[in-house]
This record gives sequence, C-alpha cells and structure tokens, in this order.
Amino acid sequence: MRKKSIHWYLLLVFLLTVGIVAGCSDSDTTESVEEEKNDSETNDEAGEEDELFVFGEETLEISMFGNYDWYTMPGWGDDVATAWIKENKKVDITAIDGGGNAEQKLTTMIAGDELPDFIWTDRGASVERLREGGALVPLDPYLDKYTNLRDWFGEEGINMLRSDDGKLYQFPNWYNSSPFGNAGYVVNKGIYEDLGSPPLETTEDLYEYLQLVKENYPDVIPFETGIDGQGINVLYSAFAEGESPANINNVAVPNGDQLTSIFMDENYTESLQYVSKLFREGLITQDALTQDQDMVIEKVTAGNIAVFASASPTDHARTGHYDLLEEDPDGGYFMIHPIHKEGLDPNEVYPGSYNMMGWNVSVITKGAEDPEKVFAFLDWLTGPEGQSSLIFGPEGEYWDGFDEEGFPQFTEKYYEDPEGLAKVEEDTANFQWNGNSNFLDTAKANFEESLPEEHRNWTTHWQNTITWDTQYDATQYLNISPIPESEEGIIQQRVGEVFEEARAKAVYAQSDEEVEQIMEEAETAAQDVGYQQLLEFQTEKWQENLAIVAGE
Amino acid sequence: MGVKSEIITSDIKANKKKSFIKRYFGQFDLQMMVIPGLLFIFIFNYIPMYGVIMAFQDYDIFEGMMGSSWAGLEHFKMFFSDPRFLEIMRNTFVISGLKILICFPAPIMLALMLNEVKNMAFKRTVQTITYLPHFLSWVIVAGFTMSILSTDNGSLNIVLEKIGLIDGSISFLAIPEYFWTIIVSTNLWKSIGFASIVYIAAIAGVDQQLYEAAALDGASRFKQIFLITIPSIMPIIVIFFILEVGNLLNAGFEDLLILGDSAILRSVSDVIDTYVYRVGIGSGRYSYATAIGLFKALISVGLLTLANYIARRNGNSLW
Repeated sequence: MRKKSIHWYLLLVFLLTVGIVAGCSDSDTTESVEEEKNDSETNDEAGEEDELFVFGEETLEISMFGNYDWYTMPGWGDDVATAWIKENKKVDITAIDGGGNAEQKLTTMIAGDELPDFIWTDRGASVERLREGGALVPLDPYLDKYTNLRDWFGEEGINMLRSDDGKLYQFPNWYNSSPFGNAGYVVNKGIYEDLGSPPLETTEDLYEYLQLVKENYPDVIPFETGIDGQGINVLYSAFAEGESPANINNVAVPNGDQLTSIFMDENYTESLQYVSKLFREGLITQDALTQDQDMVIEKVTAGNIAVFASASPTDHARTGHYDLLEEDPDGGYFMIHPIHKEGLDPNEVYPGSYNMMGWNVSVITKGAEDPEKVFAFLDWLTGPEGQSSLIFGPEGEYWDGFDEEGFPQFTEKYYEDPEGLAKVEEDTANFQWNGNSNFLDTAKANFEESLPEEHRNWTTHWQNTITWDTQYDATQYLNISPIPESEEGIIQQRVGEVFEEARAKAVYAQSDEEVEQIMEEAETAAQDVGYQQLLEFQTEKWQENLAIVAGE
Repeated sequence: MGVKSEIITSDIKANKKKSFIKRYFGQFDLQMMVIPGLLFIFIFNYIPMYGVIMAFQDYDIFEGMMGSSWAGLEHFKMFFSDPRFLEIMRNTFVISGLKILICFPAPIMLALMLNEVKNMAFKRTVQTITYLPHFLSWVIVAGFTMSILSTDNGSLNIVLEKIGLIDGSISFLAIPEYFWTIIVSTNLWKSIGFASIVYIAAIAGVDQQLYEAAALDGASRFKQIFLITIPSIMPIIVIFFILEVGNLLNAGFEDLLILGDSAILRSVSDVIDTYVYRVGIGSGRYSYATAIGLFKALISVGLLTLANYIARRNGNSLW
C-alpha cells in the first residue's frame, strides 16, 4: 500500500512542479515593473531634453495594431501618399494583424507583454482597461513640444479626453469643433416627381407619401432603413424635439438634470408606434432588422427605394445618384429637411449626432521604445503637412504649398482629375488614424465654394445645405458607459439585451397598444436587472461632462 | 472470512506491486510507444486545465493568474442569478433534445433504407448527395437558409405564394415560433448523410447467413430489419447515443450564432455557448466565461456517466 502511495506522491510532486513552472512563466509582474521604471526614466529624459524630433534625419520604425475585426492595414508605402512619407520622412509602419478577431489578438498581446507602439481603438472601455492595467503612456509631456494636436483639437477637447487621473492618453481621430455627420433622409427624385412632388415635412406627409409609393410602385420599397434598422432610430428624431438618436444608443433619455428610462419615454414609444404602423402596412422594408449591408447597397444603388433614412445614407446614395443620373438626367437622389411630427419645431429636429471627439483614438503603449517619437509622428500626421500628404497625395500633384491661412493651395489637377484624387484618399483610408476634420473640411469647403454648383460634389452639397445643420452635438454624452466587467457594465449589457429585444418586438407589433405593452414589460425587465443604478451612474458621468463643457 | 479475504487480497496486491516495475521494464519497448501519447495528452489536455482557476478569480489580464484576486463562487452565482439563465438552459436542452430526438435516429433510418436498395448506382448517388452538405461550413449553409427564407425575393415565399398557400410574404426568420423547426431541419439536412456512413458500414458487417436463415424460416424484409439488422448494430447505436447524451449541453454554436443572431430570436436561440461567446468573450469577462464553461463541463461529465451507467445495465457500454 505504501509503495503505491509513493507513486501518487511522485506524480503529485511532478504535477505541482509543472504547474508552478507553467504558472511562473506566465507572471511577468517583475519584468513589467522594471520596464515601467525604464520607461518613466526615458520619459523624464525626454521631458528634460528640449530637442525636437525631426523626421527624415533618422529612420523611424513604428508598429501599430488596429483593434477592429475588419481592420487590415494595407502595406505602408504601397500607395503614392505613404510611399512619399516613407521615402521623405523615413517613417516605416508595420501592422500587427488581428486576423479577424482583434479582441483576442489584443488580449494575447497584453498577456504576452508584446504591445505594439500604438493601438488604434474605440474610446471608452477598451482604452480604460489598458490604462488601468498600466499599459499606456500619458501624452501630456509632449503636448507643448509638438503642437498640432493642441492647435487643431483645442484645450477643451483635450480636457474632455482626459482620463480619471487627469492625464491625456488618447489621440483623437476625425475630431471636429463644428457640426458634421450625414444622418437624414434621401429621396428618390424620379419617383417623387412622378408622384406629383407632394409635401414631405411632417410624419403625416411621409406616411401618405409612402402609401402613394406603394400603390403606384408595387416593386419599390417605400421606406428603406439601412442595416440594423438605422432608419428606425432616425425616425425617433421626428417625435423628439431637441433630442437625437444618441439617446437610443445610450438607452437613456435626458429629463431635466437626470438621465431617465427610454422605455418610459413617450416620444420613443410614439416613434416605435409609428414605425410599427409603417411596418405592418408594408411601407418599411420587411427585412429591416435582418438584412445585411450588401442587400441595402443593391437596393439603394439600383434606385429600388423611394425614401432612404440611415445614420449615413449619403455613402451609398451618392453612388446611386450618379448611376441614376446616367439613366435619367432628371433622376437621382436628393435630401430633404428632416421629417418632424406636426406641431414640433422643425429647426429642433436632429436625425443624427456628432461629438467633438470624432470617431476613435490612438493610444501609445508602454511597449513603445521611444514614445516621444511615436507621438511626434502622430502629431505630424494630424498637422497640415501630414493631412495634406495623406488625403491629397504628395505635394506638387494636387496641391502645392499652403496659403496664408495655412490651408493647401490646390492645383488645377485637383478638379480636373477627381478620380485620381479620390483614389489617393481611398487608398489611405486605413491610414487615417487621426484625421483632422477641421483642417480638411475647411480646405475642401473653401475650394468647393469657388466652383459652380453643377460641379460640386453631391455629398458635399447636401452636407453644406442640410445635414451639418441638423446634427446634434452629443459631446456631453461622451464616455458615459461603464467598463464591461464592472457592476454597472454587467447591468448595461443586460439592459442592452432587454432594449434590443423590445425594439425588435415593437417593430413587429400588431397594434399601438401592443407597442405600449412591450415597452412596459421591457421597463419592468430592465428595472429588475438594475437599470436605475445604471442610469444614476450615467447621469453622474453626464453631469461631469457638462461641467467640463461649461469650462469649469 | 472478512479479515482473511482482506489479507489475501492485500497479499495479491502486494505481489502485483512488486512485479509492477519488473513487468514495466519487461515490456519497455512497448511502453516507449505509449509514452509519447500519454505525454501529449498530459501536456495539451491536462496542464491547460489549471486555467479553470480563472473561474474562481476576478481574472485580470494584466496581472495574470498569479496576481488576480480570488472571487470564490461569485461568477457561478452571477450566472445562476442572471435573468436569462432559465431561458438559456431551456433553449439548450430543447434544441439539443430536438436534435437527439430527430437528428439521431434519422441517419439510422437512412442507413436501413439504403441497405434495402438493390440498385448500387442509385445507392451510391443517394449516399454521396446526402453526405456532401457535411463539408459545407455553417456560414454557407446559414447563408442559403437565410436567402431561401427571406421576405424580399426569398424562394420559399415565392413558391408558397405562387401555389396559393399564402397571401403575403412570411418573414420566417423573424417569428420565434418557427426557429426551432428551422434550426433542427437545417441540422438534419447537413448531418444526416455523413452520420449514416457509420451505420451503413456496421450493417455491411452483419453476417449474411443470418438473413439467409431468417428468409428460410419465412421472415419478411421488415422482420429481418427488426430482428437481425437493428439488434446487430445496437452496440454502435448505443455508443453513439451515449456520446450524444454527453454532448447534451452542446446545442450547437455556429448555426445558432449565425441564424439566430437577431434580437427578436434571442429568446429562443440563445444557448450556453452563444451566451458565453457574447457576454463572456465578447465583453472581456474571461472569469465569467470560464465559470460557465466549467459548469457546463461538469454537467456534461455527469450526463455521460449517467448514460453509460444505464447502458451498462443493458450490457452495451462505453467503458
């Protein structure tokens, strides 16, 4: 018996050894502490040295990771713009590919302590997690040395982006201080004029028009909503004066100085009742919640829809517009001023929202050998020279030098060769990590203004006349979401599911009463999982933001 | 009696023990062949199991397994108290149960039917056609299903409308009541042929003399199926059934993830695996995901043992 147990003891000892070895090899706490020390030393040194890093003098190699499943960086230097940067600025960028599962790749890199120089990712939870784990380098020491970010983004924006510890870690992308965005309604001109151009201002007008379309064009989809039923969210704006679909993304509606339940919001319920009525009567695409992008593109570019509403209908409607023009010079698409419910102020209807922070951010990690150089590069890229080279190609082709205001001076080739120009911008789309909307929009707008109307770009035209004026400034709702692992984060995930289900059920509801009932049930279900606690958390964050925006 | 026999058995054991090392080295050449396999299983299947520790921690990806704080059974409690828990368990068992009820016997029937076909060319063709879908990935199969069932231009809707069975299009994939039927039938279509290969092979191994004897005794084809074919392949059926029961909590993943991924269907399509993927992995709650995975594994082992126990009483068991 004893001998037998010795065997087992041996096995146990062996197992434990293996376990400990395996476990220890994973823990790199000591290493990272050392690295941290090293990094902070270099930081300090960098802060003391006042020498600016100048591009072109030495080769700079930077590694990056785009934290999106869809993201694959094209080869740096494979297109004219980056080839020019690579050659003249001696910057070479390599990407770590997420292989279609970015989250998993990032996790592996964190666990293996092999972070790239900078990570391009969404604001909020994913950045906070990295910051709390001590993986990010604060950017504050460099802000005064390399000033493009401060000049173009502004002090207020920088403050909004600061983390809880008061430091700035994030480099914004497509930030802007003036309104932007394309949300709204696109109308098929051929069908509209054929049906006698009825007024399209109120929700009643829209309903009657869609019925008219259905009677006269049985094969056309009267109201197209884009993917994920985006158009359904856009319609909410018609019922909520002074609000925007941002409330739907937040699953919270402001009420005085509190964020309150969306399920109890009469405007939201009313908008769903309206949508549900349209859906029942076959006026909205029956695949509204299940279709994919390809199905939408096909319908829109073929002109197989009468009205199209989504968060950015211009993307496909622009292509469709030029296609339809070829068939019928009087056809195409045009945009209308946002639909509103009878009695509401049409100037207070916002079918979309924007925030000054733009889309996403880049963060520099402790994995960067010399964070200052990485920052210097990002700062250069967001500045006039970087932006002009990246979007309009190398100097001397489509632009040559800057005017006295600092904007690029476009050459004749700029409007003679729109395809070539579009190709430059398209080819660098996946390098636009820190687009400077202020700079580019002003540069483009200055130029567009000098053109006769028929030569103006369709999208630019409608942005200038309708969409930019009707987008809501949702900067105040920035970062009000909790971290996923936190108690509120778990609640948010559960409330999100209740919401999604309720929204879908409401669209398929058979009567207005049923919509109300669905909303009531959803309210109970959401409160059961702690909705109120989440709302209080969000309210607090929101109030903090309002204070920052007010300049306190 | 009791004391004596204990002494005797312990003597036998001691003898066996003594000879163990001798016997081991006596067959060292053979053992050398087993060792790599054992090592492989140990390294890749047993060592990684230390990861289940995560289920009892608040795993922090920056701190690793050693630095994370302990959470006890917190994550298990959280799962059991999740408002969706009962719904998820119900869906898991119902979808799995339906698959066992329909997709398990179907290939056996197909094999029995094919066995009766005398025309070899026809038999081969049917076999090939039925097992080919197995090699299509779920993304493709789900794509087919979605375009067949869609409302705008879906072929099923067009057919039904043309023969006058329905008035307007039905959005099949948006009606929760239809979902289980859709998922089970696509699974059946995809798996029936491939699963039947084993049974066809088993049937081919049945001693032909039995059939001849039965025919002499006047047994009809049906009698022969029920009295000879089925009893002969029973051990295989039982083994597959035991494995199937052990898999009861694996109600499917890709099929449900792709076909059932809309908010309106979630109440009938969300099973343990899709929930773990969405809530656990999707939002970086690794401990939570591990806890649910562990819970699932424990139940599966229990089910497997139970099924095997029942089968052993009937003389056909896995171990």
